[in-house]
Amino acid sequence: MKLPLSRAHLAIPVAFLLFLGCLLPLILLLVFSVFTVDMDAFVMVPAFSPQAWAQMLTKPVFAFLIGKAVMFGLGTAVLAAFAGYPVALAIASLAPAWKGIASVILLTPLYTGEIVRIYAWRIVLGSEGLVNTLLMWLGVIHAPLKFLLFTPFTTHLVLLYNTLPFMVLPIWLSIELVDRRLIEAARDLGARPLHAFLRVTLPLTTPGLSVGLFAVFALAAGDMLTPSLLGGPSGVTPMSMIDNLFGTAFDWPLASALSLSLLLVLLACATVMSWLVLRLKGARAVFRGGMR
Amino acid sequence: MKRAAAITLTLAVAFFYLPIAVLSLFSFNRSALMTFPLDGFTLDWYRELSGNTAFLNGFVTSFLVSQPVGILSALIGLLAALALASPGLRGRSVFIALLVLPFLVPKTVLSIAQAMLLNWAGLGRGATALIAAQTLVAIPFTTTIIAAVLVRLDPRLEEAARDLGATPWQTFRRVTFPQIRGAVGAAYSIGVILSLADLTISMFLAGRTQPLSLIVASQFRRELKPDLNAMQVVVLFLTGLIVFIGEYFRRRRRVHAPAPRKETAHV
Repeated sequence: MKLPLSRAHLAIPVAFLLFLGCLLPLILLLVFSVFTVDMDAFVMVPAFSPQAWAQMLTKPVFAFLIGKAVMFGLGTAVLAAFAGYPVALAIASLAPAWKGIASVILLTPLYTGEIVRIYAWRIVLGSEGLVNTLLMWLGVIHAPLKFLLFTPFTTHLVLLYNTLPFMVLPIWLSIELVDRRLIEAARDLGARPLHAFLRVTLPLTTPGLSVGLFAVFALAAGDMLTPSLLGGPSGVTPMSMIDNLFGTAFDWPLASALSLSLLLVLLACATVMSWLVLRLKGARAVFRGGMR
Repeated sequence: MKRAAAITLTLAVAFFYLPIAVLSLFSFNRSALMTFPLDGFTLDWYRELSGNTAFLNGFVTSFLVSQPVGILSALIGLLAALALASPGLRGRSVFIALLVLPFLVPKTVLSIAQAMLLNWAGLGRGATALIAAQTLVAIPFTTTIIAAVLVRLDPRLEEAARDLGATPWQTFRRVTFPQIRGAVGAAYSIGVILSLADLTISMFLAGRTQPLSLIVASQFRRELKPDLNAMQVVVLFLTGLIVFIGEYFRRRRRVHAPAPRKETAHV
């Protein structure tokens, strides 16, 4: 029974669907970005015009917005790395039966709707919300803290909440692959816990960290709803600008140019970040040492 | 060290469940204002909810959309994972890049680009577009889940089946699939959950279809009312149920075929 087809060929229909559903729309953005709009008739006019790109590159507001998205992404990725390591280490130290349960407990809040999470945080952080009421009751503060809601602080906090599991999971999986004897050896040779972590665990788990940073950055920088519903006046993102240009302003060429610029910057940042982490001392040892 | 781990996990769980706990608390609170201190216990908001036809219709719509998304994304994820796990795959890095694309591109950008494509092709938005777009976004997740199990299967079992004269289809049907059935089930539930949780894609592609998340979002912009809390608690409960069933299927797999290493969600 000889078939010319193998399982590898199953990639073809999947690749075709992904091309049709993801890549083709993005290619279309490139085409639309050089079109012009007839504002009287509300139709796009096929053309080869640099108009949208000229606007994109000369108006500082677009670069500012993309820079802000990158900052939200980087800030959240760094916060998630600092918060993710202790949690991942704690899960790795559990008995095997509990590890699976811990990961499910960790992931369940992720499955709640985007809008549910945003809505819940508004109740927690509002001026008569949980945090302020509790702090006032304890006598720590006498007037509600204003920075809790509708500020960049809120955006970072909720983005951290949304993305932390994407950091914890890959780091945890990386830790599980580390030979525990290496850490024990470091401790036996007199390394303090922090030192053993920095010199042994951290370098050996950089693949997980790299995946986590990549995922968190992509999710946080690309999130539109959290900044716009919880970030207050600071919540304008390139995504909400694209939404406006696409819907209200009917400037599809400019929306396309901005979308593509944003994509390029995000992809470049995510790649550079993961690459830098993988170049850390020790990371290369992991790949040389049999992780394929 | 043990105590440090316990404290860390307690803090993490508190952080993750704080918003959910507060929502549930206010859904049983008598006052219509969502402020502390609490006012007393009531089930009125749940009663009000059961009479809210907009919410109920939205819920039915969301459910009807989420089923094909779950099935399609599990099926496509299965195909992609089988291809990824096969050593004969050429252009692997291109294929992986394509698979990561729906995860990497901000959903707003992807949905708007898809809306432009539909418009340009003269196709309307609506349930079909919504199902297709949500399926695409779920594919990176479902592929990862199935591939993580697939790469750890013992290849000798399939070789033995083939040596004994089984056709590729028989090998898959009788040897491979029984071992990954749990992962495919988990992939299906992830697809359903991602569909139920989605708002961004719906905003741009739902057309006149009104899933629950869109109805809630439009309420959210106007006012916060406790029957919305009750609604969220019900949705959370159902989501938890789906997670539980998915996890049950995933765990059952272990009984049939103990894997050399424990479950991971990583390719």
